[in-house]
Amino acid sequence: MPQPDFRYIGTPVPRREDARLLTGHGRYVDDIEIPGVLHACFVRSPHAHARILSIDASAARAMPGVVTIVTGHELAKWTTRHRMAPPIEGLHPVEMDTLPIDRVRFQGDPVACVVATDRYVAEDACEQVQVDYEMLAPVTDMHQALDPAAPRVDETLPSNLISHQHFDHGDVASRKSCAHRVVEASFSQHRQTHLPIETRGCAAVWDEGRAHLTMHIGCQVPHPMRTQLAARLRLPETQVTIVSPDVGGAFGQKIALYREELTVAALARELRRPVRWREDRLENLLAASNSREQLCRTRAAVTADGKLLALELDVLEDFGAYCFYPANYLARVVAMILTGPYKVQDYAFDVKVVLTNKCGNGPMRAPMAITSWVIEGTMDAIARELGLDPVEVRRRNMLETADLPYTMPTGEVLSDVTPRATLEGALQAIGYDAFRARQREARTQGRCLGLGICTVVESTTYGSAFYKAAGIPGSGHESAWIRVEPSGVVNASTGLGATGQGYETSLAHAVAEGLGVDTGRIRILLGNTDIAPYGMGSRGARGGTAGGGTLYLCALDARAKVLAIAAKSLGLPDAGALRMVDGRVECHDAAGWIDTGITLASVARTAYLDPLALPDGMAPGLDFSRSYDPPPMTYSNATHACEVEVDVQTGGVRILRYLAAEDCGTVLSPVVVEGQQHGAIAMGLSNALLEHVVYDETGQNLSGSLADYLVATACEIPPIELLPMHTPSTRTPAGLKGMAEGGVMGAIGAIMNAVNDALAPFGVTVDRQPLTPMYLRALVRGKSPFPAETR
Amino acid sequence: MKPAAFRYHRPPTLAAALALLAEHGDQAKVLAGGQSLVPMMNMRLAQPAELIDINDITDLARIGLAQDAIEVGALARHRDVAGSALVQERCPLLAEAAASIGHDAIRNRGTLGGSLAHADPVAQLPLVSVTLDAQIDIAGARGKRSLPARAMFVSVMTTALEPDEVIVAARFPVRASGEGQAFRAFERRRGDFAIVSVAVSVTLAGERVSALKLGIGGVGPVPLALDALARDARGAVADDAWARELGAAAGTTVAPDDDPRIPAEFRRELVAVLVERATADAVRRARENR
Amino acid sequence: MERMRITLDVNGVRYPIEVEPRKLLSDALREDCRLTGTHVGCEHGVCGACTVWIDGHPARACLTFAAQMEGHAITTIEGIGAGDRLTPLQQALHEHHGLQCGFCTPGIVMTLGNFLDGHPDPSDDEIREALSGHLCRCTGYHNIVAAVRDAAARMRGHHVDGGDAAA
Repeated sequence: MPQPDFRYIGTPVPRREDARLLTGHGRYVDDIEIPGVLHACFVRSPHAHARILSIDASAARAMPGVVTIVTGHELAKWTTRHRMAPPIEGLHPVEMDTLPIDRVRFQGDPVACVVATDRYVAEDACEQVQVDYEMLAPVTDMHQALDPAAPRVDETLPSNLISHQHFDHGDVASRKSCAHRVVEASFSQHRQTHLPIETRGCAAVWDEGRAHLTMHIGCQVPHPMRTQLAARLRLPETQVTIVSPDVGGAFGQKIALYREELTVAALARELRRPVRWREDRLENLLAASNSREQLCRTRAAVTADGKLLALELDVLEDFGAYCFYPANYLARVVAMILTGPYKVQDYAFDVKVVLTNKCGNGPMRAPMAITSWVIEGTMDAIARELGLDPVEVRRRNMLETADLPYTMPTGEVLSDVTPRATLEGALQAIGYDAFRARQREARTQGRCLGLGICTVVESTTYGSAFYKAAGIPGSGHESAWIRVEPSGVVNASTGLGATGQGYETSLAHAVAEGLGVDTGRIRILLGNTDIAPYGMGSRGARGGTAGGGTLYLCALDARAKVLAIAAKSLGLPDAGALRMVDGRVECHDAAGWIDTGITLASVARTAYLDPLALPDGMAPGLDFSRSYDPPPMTYSNATHACEVEVDVQTGGVRILRYLAAEDCGTVLSPVVVEGQQHGAIAMGLSNALLEHVVYDETGQNLSGSLADYLVATACEIPPIELLPMHTPSTRTPAGLKGMAEGGVMGAIGAIMNAVNDALAPFGVTVDRQPLTPMYLRALVRGKSPFPAETR
Repeated sequence: MKPAAFRYHRPPTLAAALALLAEHGDQAKVLAGGQSLVPMMNMRLAQPAELIDINDITDLARIGLAQDAIEVGALARHRDVAGSALVQERCPLLAEAAASIGHDAIRNRGTLGGSLAHADPVAQLPLVSVTLDAQIDIAGARGKRSLPARAMFVSVMTTALEPDEVIVAARFPVRASGEGQAFRAFERRRGDFAIVSVAVSVTLAGERVSALKLGIGGVGPVPLALDALARDARGAVADDAWARELGAAAGTTVAPDDDPRIPAEFRRELVAVLVERATADAVRRARENR
Repeated sequence: MERMRITLDVNGVRYPIEVEPRKLLSDALREDCRLTGTHVGCEHGVCGACTVWIDGHPARACLTFAAQMEGHAITTIEGIGAGDRLTPLQQALHEHHGLQCGFCTPGIVMTLGNFLDGHPDPSDDEIREALSGHLCRCTGYHNIVAAVRDAAARMRGHHVDGGDAAA
């Protein structure tokens, strides 16, 4: 389907954020100078599970430069408890103190907060705070957590099984009984953490005269954050402002209101002095937010030629100790969209989520990251067991355009997706047949090349109807305002939270297209809750569609009024023959489009300064507001292909080539979209190869520094080839779809499948991550490769 | 993570530094490049009361030839060791190993003396100094002494230095004609500390090995020189099969600790592979260097 | 602890400051000199965000005490290019979309700027090697490599069109 004809959307424009960021003049939260500000530092539990018997801060309080030291007792007076209790069947409600009072539940749990004149002094004082703990047995393994005899992480719950959902569609049992084969496969994804290069932090400024809190905090969701913060502090929302400045990455770690930030805000109000906190990297690794750690098992009932009859999924997730999000939040998406690009209606899942004495989970770029690996790995498993070509198995089961719209067994509707096209596009670009020939040749020389294919169907831009249907309170709408100023320049705003996505550039494209002006005269304002309209923020790959979509619709409203004013001044009955291009009004006659001499600036002058010249009944000014609720779900799709070489002597993996063919709808800014794809793919590869949050059996975090928690560098990430195969959505403004998480899903699946393909001659498969050399060596040790196969 | 407080000293001469060390003994730490010490201080794993910054003692940064040895001052930065034409030509193993340390920013500050004194079990320069039998020159309030590298490294991050002593230089033998050297390490990512590292020197007489030096890092608390294997190699024909056998023998000789994340068996296998590959490199260079 | 009076020479400007010996150069630059372009990402020398030049050579400001720097010249990102006069590397990063959140960017500009001075015609492998001392969580490094390649070409006198999506 050809792209609609856009003038501004889709043009590559270098980012306007760059001028300040390239020269060191960005303004991140720790850069903001606040006279008289105090510094907070947290005393944290060294134990995974313990009762707090006593906290003696007397020595610490006496140190010069220490202003105060508070514990959970004080915070309990100043703030409300946190209750996480969405009405979801199978999910236990939980509550949480602002700072723990009775027990700590993971190594790094904050138990006290020191406030001092600088961070150095605050850390000195933290060392002097004496906390008396009574150690308790921890539970540190997801299987152990299911044992009814295991230590309980939350005493208010009957067990560590905090969430359990089961789902059934069709007749899986009878499909299995008449299948040619039931292929079983297992997929274990390890614990990880987001690791934005800028850690968490905030600065709380309390204005005593106005009884107003201004909270500077890098935040993906400024308004929901304000709502939560105000409620927890028992303040009306009118007395809290969130200001999110430049943010050094977030990837899902800067959404929830965590306990440290709430503590800092409460302290600022109590002390009547500004207080700031900068999380250091050790704290970030230990105590910010974890993610993933899911074990998925599939059972696929298939015919002899590899057609899917039915699919069963079990998920077990280790959610850690605390619920800053509903515990089923991450795993449920996996189960919901697992069938992805494949036709199957008989589907059942069982999802269990347990608590353990580890740092709590939160959504990390692609909360459903495991999904594509699981379904594509299942396809590969089917191919292996039946001796079929894995590409043929995919083709036999994949949705075609004629199948759309397709309702998945879970009720999700796929429309405007093109997985077959991206599959064929990727296969052609990677040279699939030629690869198989090279692979055979390499095997004769003892070299193990492998090719992994992974098709992604990415859920994006959740609409309100989705939340309603899922029984989750919350909305998926977004809001925007646009104001054409008297001089003809444009200010615009939406409720998103920028954390590096280039919104100031890409959203300007949406406004430009709707209104008909060049991007250079548009300023996008984000992050200040007093300025931006109430929106749901940036998460779940919704920025482009929800924010861009709302701004585009709002800009169309603006254009309509502007052209109506122009029509009046031209003496025309209506604006039917008018259009705006680059801020100039053109009129259509028999000869074509001609410039009328009317500009946006002249219209604005009239609207603000000569309102009596406006059409009858028209209000002065050029101020517009809009909100927009996207469809319940918008899907984009991609196919990733990854060629690797495994050094079977050392277990080392080298990526020889990586490409992704992607359809993510109308692209606001191609430059920004490619950058998002690169970043997502790099994160997925890093996740699968290197990253690992490791806890030992006593709950000690063994990956507490960047020397242990390994993130890929430019030497481990290959060049990334991108094939744009975009087709617009028929259901969203300007045909926008979301993107930016699918790359993680595709990369994880592609590299796992590639390593499996490389190791196929040994008769082994990888079913867990990370793909450490130790793991790969253990798989092939003592085995010799089968004679080279011919496919 | 901010370091604990300390008193800071910046002696202009070696004598002044030694006087401070004599006064403060084990309350003091010497600060050279800081690339290993300062992270530990920032994490409060090291909390010296006195910090003696020796970076002004520029005499200690010299790299030169002294009889049949390359003398590298303790304050020589890894960047300068790696980039020195003299070292590249006369002791290429040292240059190759220094070039592999961390990244540019680390090499610009990190020093030979600091690396030797820090004695990380898998660090490059301790391994090279043990493999080549370097001599380490030490100065203390009570005078100077020299130690063979093997006597220097006592255990994990523990050297034979007394609290009032500082390394001033290390002397590495100059490569002979017909000698080829190679360094190989296996790391998870570029610039990481290696899991296992190997340093080899092969001297050829015709097609046969006339001398072999073989050192392994990452299989014990200190770098390990495989002397017996080296002796037994004399007279062997230096071909690919020999390199493979040498690797296999090295792999069975080492006795690394077992660890759930990095099993001993894995380290042994890495030793075998790296020794084979490094030895092949060294042989090729030996042929080029006749 | 007593403070020391020292003078930092940063970007050719002298900053007389009073700091404890333990104050890290990264913090002294940001707080005492009010130059917040140098970012703190880990404080153990791994992420590279704090990279500055000490006497013209890239070094981690988080692994240096401010007190050590008396008598040395420090260059920070604020001393590279100026306003509308970006260096070829900065300009290339801009044109190739080699930055997203920008937090790791100043450190990369310091290291790769220095690298380009010594490597007028670097291979992609050499560029990636030089870049490997910096963690970037946003870009996947692809566009940064393209930008460095292009900057090298410009510095050699040839301009190369930017924005090539394929490797």
